[in-house]
Amino acid sequence: MYEKDGRQYFVFDSHLHFWDASPANWVAGQEEYAKGWIECFHAYQSLGPPATHWSLEKFQKYSIDDFEKDVFVDGGVDVGVFQSTYLKQWYTNGFNDIEHNADLLERFPGKLIVNGRFDPREGQAGLEQLEADNERYDLKGVKLYTAEWRNGSRGWKLTDDDARPFFDKCVELGIKNVHVHKGPTIWPLDKDSFDVSDVDHVATDYNGELNFIVEHVGLPRIEDFCFMATQEPNVYAGLAVVIGGLMHARPNFFAKVMGELLFWVSEDKMLFGSDYAIWEPKWQVEGFLDWEMPDLPEYSDYPRLDEGGKRKILGLNGAKLYDVEVPDSLAPTEAEAEAALPEGAVGVE
Amino acid sequence: MTLRRRVLGELGTVYDPELDEPITALGFVGCCEVSAEGDVSVRLRLPTPQCAPNFAFLMAADAQAAIHRVPGVRSARVELEDHYTGREINSAVARGEGFAAAFPGETRAELDELRALFRRKALVAREGRLLGSVPDPSSARMRDLSGPDAARCRVLRRALGIDASDDAPAFVRGDGTPVRTDELGRFTRMARLTALSLETNGGMCRDLLRARYPETEREEVAV
Repeated sequence: MYEKDGRQYFVFDSHLHFWDASPANWVAGQEEYAKGWIECFHAYQSLGPPATHWSLEKFQKYSIDDFEKDVFVDGGVDVGVFQSTYLKQWYTNGFNDIEHNADLLERFPGKLIVNGRFDPREGQAGLEQLEADNERYDLKGVKLYTAEWRNGSRGWKLTDDDARPFFDKCVELGIKNVHVHKGPTIWPLDKDSFDVSDVDHVATDYNGELNFIVEHVGLPRIEDFCFMATQEPNVYAGLAVVIGGLMHARPNFFAKVMGELLFWVSEDKMLFGSDYAIWEPKWQVEGFLDWEMPDLPEYSDYPRLDEGGKRKILGLNGAKLYDVEVPDSLAPTEAEAEAALPEGAVGVE
Repeated sequence: MTLRRRVLGELGTVYDPELDEPITALGFVGCCEVSAEGDVSVRLRLPTPQCAPNFAFLMAADAQAAIHRVPGVRSARVELEDHYTGREINSAVARGEGFAAAFPGETRAELDELRALFRRKALVAREGRLLGSVPDPSSARMRDLSGPDAARCRVLRRALGIDASDDAPAFVRGDGTPVRTDELGRFTRMARLTALSLETNGGMCRDLLRARYPETEREEVAV
């Protein structure tokens, strides 16, 4: 719960990490990639306010106490989701695999949800692993990172034939939230690997069964994402990086990107995610609650975001997708619940 | 003008295909050395080590070709710094080979289709910035457009095989078909979003580049 000016907000952070990217976890022979990856993340952190920057050493490996203070104590996060990211080609024990993330579940009961993952290139063994992970953690979601390298392969697409059994398995097991993160490489390398058209296809195929949360709103392909999300009822916008990477560093772009998302995607389908430990949640939550669409002509035809919309994005939308109970006192007020749908919720023929 | 100035000037014609901005303006040219004999060595650096290999390759290969176009250049060497596929890209560019040779077995074709796709996006984005400059966009002609965005539209249209003459319709979709009056509202929104997407990514790339190479501002090679 985040409290500001005497008002309380339910915060559902849809994108958290508890990683170990310290040199001790780098795979021999892959040090260059492991080091490059975490240094790249560290550069992203520099897009937040200077007072929230960490040293590279702390950023490579932070403690459970850091996590507790930044996320729950200072950040006011009520419930957060770990997006497990393996990258075992580069990190011996994974960047933040499910076991590593799950270590925190017992420490903070009821506060954390751990998402699983799958990789269709693992075939039958991967399917069995997904079942085992579900058995153990009662998964409600998976995080898919399509640019992950594996045995000489530089990635995969959601439309690959061997991905279908995995989506079917998710349906069968009741794992209904699929978080998709596009990365820079994929086979064949001459195609645009950030293209989101494969999400479009599977979202249509699994409408009513699976939700697709596109992380980082498809960045750097915001336009493709918006044109797709406006047509697919089960496609959602994950705001990690939008708030963290733009709100402080590029406030004008932030306002316009928010305006476009409100127009094409709508406040009902946008999810707050801090992407901790890239950025701490506190300044993001606080800044987002303070934020208003600039009252200038170039922003005039964007939908406005009111208090009720901010409540949805910050917590209520995510809670709904993950069946998380919101205390009555933090649920939308009657007036907010009755407020008309945003004018931005349009369909595109 | 010194040979180095001319080389830098020519590098200013090399565009990041994804952002549609010159690599010199983006700060991607980290170093440019020219010997008295005309041997040129350029180092390119990108905002992250994971920048997409296909776009990185295009910029490196285009830079190599641009340098060779400058009279007085005897040899050209372009190297991509600190990139996770830098080894593959640098050796293919040095040998004058294509993308498929840089990544054997990992490609289906060269990068022409990818480049065309992003030229179409860039064209629509540029048009998005020009829509407000004429009273009636659906009847406007190319001659009615002016300024740097209009000049870039002409370059992009020619590269895409779309009529760029003065009499041609000013506003076309990415595939070259003119935008009709009844499509204008939707086209405007889509074009504006595409422009915002490119600009936002350009902004983020600049911020990340500065975080990665703090001296960028100082050393940024001006043309």
